[in-house]
Amino acid sequence: MKKQVSLVREYTKGIWDQNPALRQLLGMCPTLAVTVSAMNGIAMSLAATFVLVFSSFIISLVRNFIPSQVRIASYIVIIATFVTIVDLVMRAQFPAMSKELGPYIPLIVVNCIILGRAEAFASKNGPFRSILDALGMGTGFLIALAALGGIREILGSRSLLGMQVLPDAFEPWLVMILPAGAFLTFGLCLGAINALLNRKKNKEEEALVARHMEQANLALTDVKEG
Amino acid sequence: MKTIIAMLVTLSVIGIVSGGGLAMVSSWADPLIAKNKQAETERAIFLVQPQGKSYEAVADAKIVIYRVFDENKQPIGYSLPWVGNGFQGKVVIMIGLKTDLKSLTSIEILEQVETPGLGTKIMEDPFRKQFDALQVDPQVDWVKGAPATKPNEIQTITGATISSKAVVAIVNDGLVKARAALGGSSK
Amino acid sequence: MELLLIFISATLINNFVLAYFLGICPFIGVSNKLSSAFPMGLATTFVLVLTAIASWLIYFLILVPYHVEYLQYVAFILVIAALVQFVEMVIKKVSQPLYRALGIFLPLITTNCAILGLALFIVLKEYNFMESIVFGIGAGAGFTLAISIMAGIREELELANVPKAFQGAPITLIVAGLLALAFMGFAGMITV
Repeated sequence: MKKQVSLVREYTKGIWDQNPALRQLLGMCPTLAVTVSAMNGIAMSLAATFVLVFSSFIISLVRNFIPSQVRIASYIVIIATFVTIVDLVMRAQFPAMSKELGPYIPLIVVNCIILGRAEAFASKNGPFRSILDALGMGTGFLIALAALGGIREILGSRSLLGMQVLPDAFEPWLVMILPAGAFLTFGLCLGAINALLNRKKNKEEEALVARHMEQANLALTDVKEG
Repeated sequence: MKTIIAMLVTLSVIGIVSGGGLAMVSSWADPLIAKNKQAETERAIFLVQPQGKSYEAVADAKIVIYRVFDENKQPIGYSLPWVGNGFQGKVVIMIGLKTDLKSLTSIEILEQVETPGLGTKIMEDPFRKQFDALQVDPQVDWVKGAPATKPNEIQTITGATISSKAVVAIVNDGLVKARAALGGSSK
Repeated sequence: MELLLIFISATLINNFVLAYFLGICPFIGVSNKLSSAFPMGLATTFVLVLTAIASWLIYFLILVPYHVEYLQYVAFILVIAALVQFVEMVIKKVSQPLYRALGIFLPLITTNCAILGLALFIVLKEYNFMESIVFGIGAGAGFTLAISIMAGIREELELANVPKAFQGAPITLIVAGLLALAFMGFAGMITV
């Protein structure tokens, strides 16, 4: 009997615990490529979330009708269809952002996050849960891209979301806008997150050890007095 | 056998639904996309010819060049989109030419991928403004490390000499091709 | 020569991994040993060249004449999936140990952004047939170069004292950043 995951949990797990970009390390290509500014990161994650939600939904609906041998091919066609829709809509309605994001919108097709969630979740769960899962992953992706984009934009262009936030006297760290800056920022962020999680884990372990020590001491005093 | 049929049917259904859906979205989107592209070209054309109110592509020129008219339908010059190699990739420049093809109105860098902070300075004002009303007879020349002295000279950007020289080369190349395409009529 | 320019550009100046962020997943995943990184690079190059040929043919000989360019993403990814399946079978026949060494990463070449990215670039830059093939070879050479250099560095890093929080992905990314900086030195090799 599988433990029932709460519906809320289905959504929230994608935000931190299983954050696709920062913990599962999926979808790194767009994460590094479009985070030159916060706005680009947000736009990309919204486009990816659209594809993720709709593909997960459709795949979950038809999961019982697709023979196992052709499931990857079927998922890929469904995903590619929604990516094409996003790309066409962006080129028609948001041409400036479409140009900024360039070829990375169609590259959502091979974004491991989407195929990964399809294979790991949508193919095995009902439509409603799949939508929640997709929305959660999308939210996590948005937070990650917005944060990385924000850091690189502030340090590299003195601005955030297009508005200047640092004084002119601050000489921008141009490396941040370059590919090298993407790698360095992402690597340092991951290292920082790991350090934070290790500290938390160490604290929990120390607390556990302290509790055991206390119990052992109590047992000893019992023996002494007993 | 049953599985193979199931596989084929599944893939066919998905393919047909997908293709049909995309065809619908595409027919809605395509005209909008074409309009966007047109608006972008127009914007660039008038950017270098601020007095321009209308334009038309010069009909039998071998290159893409636009004749620009003012509100009285008088030709006031040409807008020439031209491409060349910069330091890190292609640079696309919209060149505004006066009707006699002997001086520029201005230039506008449409696309570039030069080094941020250095090469990208070609898009910024001190460098770009040098091309406003610049004489180009017989061509544009550049000087390094000292201000320009002749009316057809510009000064390269310190630390971005190659990007600057690339812009000059592209403008000169466009000039040559424009003069050839428009024949001797405007000389 | 225009073709030489395309090759050098794809390999060094606009390296697919270090400049365009394509192929990051295997770049981080398979680059811990040179003995698996280099064959991975070669297998990817093989798929890249085949993809260049296939996508050019499909786009310019089928999609464009029939005005169904909007089907390109679906068509490309299906072709890529088929090609990877084909390459998998070939490697299995030719070299069993290599097949086992590459393991799960072989089918994962399908989701390698570099492959689809290559097809998209060819459409974007409107390369002709010869140019597409050279572009594919250059992209593969660049990918193999980057992943091999990274593997060499990571093997050395094994002996270094990397702080626990940075072991694995973080230090690999930081090294990649330094590599990207180094490769920037190739810019301007070929000018006007």
